[in-house]
Amino acid sequence: MTNAETCARLSGISTSSLELRHFFALRKFVIRHSAVLLLSPFFALADTPLPTLPPEQRTNGKQTLSAVSPLKPLTLDCAARIESVLERPICTATIVGADGYVLTKASEVPDLDKARVRFADGRTAALREVHREARLDLVLAQAVGITGLPVVSFGASKPLTLGQWLCSTADAGQEPRIGIVSAARRAIPGTGAALGIRMDEKTPKEVKGVRIIGIASESPAEIAGLQENDVLLNIAGEAVAQYRRVHELVNKRQPGEVIEVRYLRKDKEETCRVRLASRTKVLQNWEGEDFANGGISLRSDNFPEVLQHDIPLYPSDMGGPVTTLEGKVVGINIARVDRVTTFALPVEAFRTEAQQWIKADRHPPKAVPVK
Amino acid sequence: MQTRPSFRLILISILLAGPVRGEEQRPRAPKAPQTDLATLLRIQTDVQKLLPQVRQALVAIQTGGGTASGVIISADGLLLTAAHVPGGPGKDMRVILEDGSVTTAKSLGLDKTTDAALAQLKQREKPWPFVKLSREVIQAQPGEWCFALGHPGGFDKSRGPVLRVGKIIKQTANSLHTDCVLMGGDSGGPLFNFTGEVIGIHSQIWENRDQNVHVSMAPFLRSWEAMQKSQVIKVWGVGAGGYLGVATVMSDDVELEVADVIDDSPAQKAGVRAGDVILSVNDDAMTDQQQFTATVRSKAAGDTLKIRLRSGGKERELAVKLAQKPQEDSE
Repeated sequence: MTNAETCARLSGISTSSLELRHFFALRKFVIRHSAVLLLSPFFALADTPLPTLPPEQRTNGKQTLSAVSPLKPLTLDCAARIESVLERPICTATIVGADGYVLTKASEVPDLDKARVRFADGRTAALREVHREARLDLVLAQAVGITGLPVVSFGASKPLTLGQWLCSTADAGQEPRIGIVSAARRAIPGTGAALGIRMDEKTPKEVKGVRIIGIASESPAEIAGLQENDVLLNIAGEAVAQYRRVHELVNKRQPGEVIEVRYLRKDKEETCRVRLASRTKVLQNWEGEDFANGGISLRSDNFPEVLQHDIPLYPSDMGGPVTTLEGKVVGINIARVDRVTTFALPVEAFRTEAQQWIKADRHPPKAVPVK
Repeated sequence: MQTRPSFRLILISILLAGPVRGEEQRPRAPKAPQTDLATLLRIQTDVQKLLPQVRQALVAIQTGGGTASGVIISADGLLLTAAHVPGGPGKDMRVILEDGSVTTAKSLGLDKTTDAALAQLKQREKPWPFVKLSREVIQAQPGEWCFALGHPGGFDKSRGPVLRVGKIIKQTANSLHTDCVLMGGDSGGPLFNFTGEVIGIHSQIWENRDQNVHVSMAPFLRSWEAMQKSQVIKVWGVGAGGYLGVATVMSDDVELEVADVIDDSPAQKAGVRAGDVILSVNDDAMTDQQQFTATVRSKAAGDTLKIRLRSGGKERELAVKLAQKPQEDSE
């Protein structure tokens, strides 16, 4: 533990920002430093305190996870790691065809040809994109030249009830994790995409553009290198003069999409590429206060239906399978949302379609002679 | 980012408050067998059996300052929540029940030193759905399974309450630490044992996923008698008194040592430093933390304490004028 750790009281979230204003207007969130005191053994009470539960005995510690080790052939072996050419993990894939077909989270891999897949048996392969479905944020790809893969066994997610155990894979498909169905299944409406900036509503007349007056922590804008006082000139090919127009141009796009932004910094025009995130993500984490541990997914909303669970995962674990304790796949992890929330697409939302995409790819329609 | 002195005070006070009495024969280290599927399935069956009933006692609370949770613990509508939710007694709060219906509650007493608070729901003819408190505070042992309910991020009708199942990691005098992961909006929500009794009220988080802190039932039970007598508790006694601003620890030589001094506190202004050994207060020899705590709390803000210290082998005496505790700035 270090002094850099922070602690927060649990009563909501707030910050004032243009993109935020009506969203969490009533919320308040307080973060304080030096909270490390309470957990430090130095301050132990005079009485011998009860021992602290060692990590291996906690809910996702080794001893507890031994309960799900028999599930390995049905979970870990059916997951694969999508990584960059430099072997950096990007996301996780679920194997749906022995001949190399995998499903993963589309917005995490805009360029599949810059990624490759690594299977549990150690084989790696390039990926060929087969079908991309923005509505579900899924992409079907085929590992080139791979056969003989273990394939997931699908179950039904409809009978799942609150409190039912689920098992998934972490560390890009290498470790099991458990958790429970933690809330009602439902649709998650979209809020559009965002840059993570606050804009000056009254940029002076002599300035042709929109001035940035605030940048959200870990937001697309911050990652792309935009700074306070930069003046936005052009968003995705359109010159901008009104902050409302910037919002419109950005908001209508898909999270995960990359746009080009032209801006003025100290009288010099510059250009950067920004990978957009869900507006919800940016707003909830304006000052990095979401404590999501490892961050949240770029796209965290706009799904036709989701299962919510409390399995402790990272954004790079998205795309991996979610199974019951019988090893039946009931969903694919689709978004790390906040500290307590991960969404999985239920199997019913994609299974039939995915099978059609595979079928069409294996047997492309033959040319029919015109009569 | 804000840093507020009151927050540090809360931590320090937990340290000062000492363990609940009568717990000398604590059973040690929990059993640690390899977990099997049958154990997990039993946990699942038990949670699912308890849920339909206990979830009805969960409420979402909206105050001017934010959104939080709470739990009903009596048929006449007594509500437990975290002290930082109302921020003070007599505050009106909007309350949303599990079924989405809306009512109001007024905060009663609260204990800012442990983050425990009580509120009273508006009277109604029908009895309120409620859950029981666990009176066996000591049974909430590290290693025990538990489950949490709350409204993280605020009430969401399509989502409903959010469940988390986990284990108790640590028990302190006034709190429980678990790996039931919490976040903003969960504050004041209940942590349950497997008989469906409340064993904790969600209070704080640290950065790591295993660092979720709940107020245990100890601070609530300390004032339980008053609650029984009047059905309504006005003020919690704990935490009253003047404010000094030191955290203590028993040293290896079994002396009362200053572990930390809060910035801008009366103790710091008077020159108390971490590492000093506290010998006496107003000429009474100090031998343990509880005695020291009780002595300080028996004095009011404005009173002056004569503290005899030993630092680096030298003894010295300081006069410290106690202050008001830094207040939570509500709203």
